[in-house]
Amino acid sequence: MFSKPDSALVIVGHGSTLNPDSSGPTWEHADAITQLGAFGEVHCAFWKEEPSLRQVLHCVNKREIYVVPNFISEGYFTQTVIPRELGLNGPLTEIAGRTVKYCAPVGNHSRMSDLLLKRAASIAPGVSPKETSLFIVGHGTGLNDNSAVAAKREVERIRSLGLYGEVIAAYMEEDPLIAKWDELSTQPNVVVVPFFIADGLHSYEDIPVLLGIASTSPGAASATGAGVFTQNPYRLRGRTLFYANSIGTEEGFAEVILDQVAAFDAAAA
Amino acid sequence: MDTNAALANWLEKGGRHIGQIAIAKKDDGWELRHADDAGRDDLQLYTKTADARSLANLDDASAYRALKTAPNLRHGWRLILPDVASVRNALDAFYPAMLGVHLARERGEIVPVNLRDTLARQTGMYRITQKLTDAQSQALIAKSCRLDGGCLKTILWRISPELPVNSLPAEKFTTPGGGEWPLLCHEACNILVAEARKVVKGEVKEG
Ligand code: SF4
Repeated sequence: MFSKPDSALVIVGHGSTLNPDSSGPTWEHADAITQLGAFGEVHCAFWKEEPSLRQVLHCVNKREIYVVPNFISEGYFTQTVIPRELGLNGPLTEIAGRTVKYCAPVGNHSRMSDLLLKRAASIAPGVSPKETSLFIVGHGTGLNDNSAVAAKREVERIRSLGLYGEVIAAYMEEDPLIAKWDELSTQPNVVVVPFFIADGLHSYEDIPVLLGIASTSPGAASATGAGVFTQNPYRLRGRTLFYANSIGTEEGFAEVILDQVAAFDAAAA
Repeated sequence: MDTNAALANWLEKGGRHIGQIAIAKKDDGWELRHADDAGRDDLQLYTKTADARSLANLDDASAYRALKTAPNLRHGWRLILPDVASVRNALDAFYPAMLGVHLARERGEIVPVNLRDTLARQTGMYRITQKLTDAQSQALIAKSCRLDGGCLKTILWRISPELPVNSLPAEKFTTPGGGEWPLLCHEACNILVAEARKVVKGEVKEG
């Protein structure tokens, strides 16, 4: 691992004004990187929370700043909002005597597939992957981002490894719909991994309702919704179903953030 | 001077208040608590910087505090920290960016951004906020930013170069004295921008 005592890292998350758990994983990855001592300073910044993108550069003492978006895909936020709010004009921007190096979002990294496999294996211990349909669930539609594309890309990568009986991309709001998981899959075991950066309403409530493992309960957009992850396996529609937390809570994300910094340096070299 | 050194300096000179937090020097380090909890001896003890994040996240009724400078910091806790570096990390959790922004302002690096410029920059679903009228702006700011129940930051910006915010009392625009660490708003936050969108779309009643 590299050491950059004279550089700062800023991890950018979306954050939320409604969901108290939204920024949690981003902070946890920052804590892990601080523990590793890889950077002289580690900060987080958010679109919907503080420190905001408009504040964060004022809080950094170092002159060289790496910015890594903790986002699942390239899209509106990584290409429009973050550069606009931080005042970036490309991968490398000089702002008031500082150099800001804008890295690719975590979701773009090829190691995302390893993390999805790790998560899938850990929630269904002792279950044969060959007899398992693995679903990667994205949002789909309307968000003006490429998360559906990213989910498809991961599915293709994992499928090509030939480990799972089936690997399927499904979405909350576009075809193929996760609600039809039993029609889309053929294996006796089903593992569902939400392809989101944090747990929240989608993973606590929306997807469980679509899967049929929870009924709508008001106010589940908080840690109270986390119970849905502790009751595996679910037996329904003639299958055994395992439901995982959002992939962004995987601790390996901290390393992927560092990898994106290394990839930036390698590309610039 | 970096942030830790500046904070050490401020504490050295007797700085003890930031927002709703009171800081005290103790034998075993620094103690943070809600200023309202002065004199209470039934407070729950916390000792880790990471605790600051969860203490800051929910109010007394366990509702989420999206805006950390809202005057609804929860009560009933005290946080003992060993050194200035951990006090800095805790304050960064309680009042994100507020150490950095004040120091940047002292270095002359803060240029306040007027509301019109903040709204003009918006894209996507927030572009519509450019339609917010001056009167709607005044009313919205009066409601969302007011010190009592809204937000403790001092506003440094105007609506436009010609138009100051005149819907809140003068104390909203002046930093507190008495060696308090100021909480500064050099640009309207995204919560206000999101509220502006609701006003323009007619989803909230004005005034
Ligand atoms: S705009 Fe500034 S003063 Fe108003 S609520 Fe947001 S942070 Fe507070």
